[in-house]
Amino acid sequence: MNRFPPARKSGLIVLLLVVWLAAPAAAQTPISDFEEAFLTIPVSDVARFITAVELGMSQPDFPAVDVLRFIERFASTAYSASEKEAVLVHVIAAMEDGLPVDGLVTKGLEGLARGVTLQQIEQSLHQRTILLAETRDLLYAKGIFSVAPGSPQSVPTALPTPRFNLLVTHISDTIADYLEGGGSPFEGETLYQEVRFRLTSLEGAILIAEDVDLVLKRIEPADMTRVALSAVT
Amino acid sequence: MRPDTFDDVLRDTLRQEVAETASGLVGLEERIAVELGERRPRLRVTDWLRQLLAPTRSGRIGQLSVVGVTAAICLLVGVFIANQFGFTGNTPGIRLTPSQAEDGGQEVLFVLPALDATDVSVVGNFNAWEPTPLSDDDNDGIWTASIPLPPGRYEYAFVIDGRWWGQDPLADEYVQSFGEYSSVRYVGGGDGA
Repeated sequence: MNRFPPARKSGLIVLLLVVWLAAPAAAQTPISDFEEAFLTIPVSDVARFITAVELGMSQPDFPAVDVLRFIERFASTAYSASEKEAVLVHVIAAMEDGLPVDGLVTKGLEGLARGVTLQQIEQSLHQRTILLAETRDLLYAKGIFSVAPGSPQSVPTALPTPRFNLLVTHISDTIADYLEGGGSPFEGETLYQEVRFRLTSLEGAILIAEDVDLVLKRIEPADMTRVALSAVT
Repeated sequence: MRPDTFDDVLRDTLRQEVAETASGLVGLEERIAVELGERRPRLRVTDWLRQLLAPTRSGRIGQLSVVGVTAAICLLVGVFIANQFGFTGNTPGIRLTPSQAEDGGQEVLFVLPALDATDVSVVGNFNAWEPTPLSDDDNDGIWTASIPLPPGRYEYAFVIDGRWWGQDPLADEYVQSFGEYSSVRYVGGGDGA
């Protein structure tokens, strides 16, 4: 026995389709939440910060929930507004530059959880922001590009943005961890092996084998030294 | 007897011996099987255990049997526990092998022996560095938490009674962060080779 007439059935399908399409939009963190958090601090230029967040949100892999959590936790600390802003501005600058901010956000949250000073967090984020930009530029220089997902892939080395960003994040994070652990930027071969270990460990998990191969074939130990030096000089 | 006659007799005798022996080998396997079947009825596990543990003419052999069976049982129990908790011997020391979760990620077990601790939790980039408590239900000092994680690289540390401890022996690697150690676990993916 058919419980639904055809008209009602198609209506139900349309409704389900609408719900399915609307779900990601509903899951997106509203920009007003960011604005409220910025006003709580308060930052000196709310408009600039909001624009940066909007720019970040235009990227498919933008970690909106984590970024908001990061800002809210900073807002609740006992430091002065200018001290908080000095830290946040690195994440904002990275967003403005179109860089992936996952690593910065998690490092900031870790610093807060560990109870280290804002100056320590600021130094760490400053160094990591430089490394992100330098790593991205290195990949560009090696002919590895980022294209918006769904765009036609003009060259085989043009990777969809989320894949490209993952490579940038993990290469720069490896170098940052190495430097933070007391490693010398002149140990290019060691740095290269560290990067190689990180990328191959994530191969098949979150990184695609072809992307890892591409990067490891094109970058060299000397490149690692150059990138690392940019963050310590 | 002439030498050539002797050779003939010897050859005939040997041929006859070989022929008789060969005919005796026909169906030997079946006969042995039948005979063994008649002599040793199939043992049930309980009978086998009883027989194994029974005192023998040599007391020492009997004791050794008991020790051997005990060791085997311990080994079996150990293998069972290792499988349950995902311990395998594929790296120096013990390594945790995460079990597959339904969402494509993995159920990762965090284990920490902390005999005198009253509160143990794990913080990491998988929980925005907010404590996820470990439990020790049987009060044996072994604290555990099973956390489903999607594939990726996770930095974490244990917090034991408010004190951070970032050198988990089960970690895949360690990094220094803000002057302290953090442990790292890779979930899914390659082997870093």
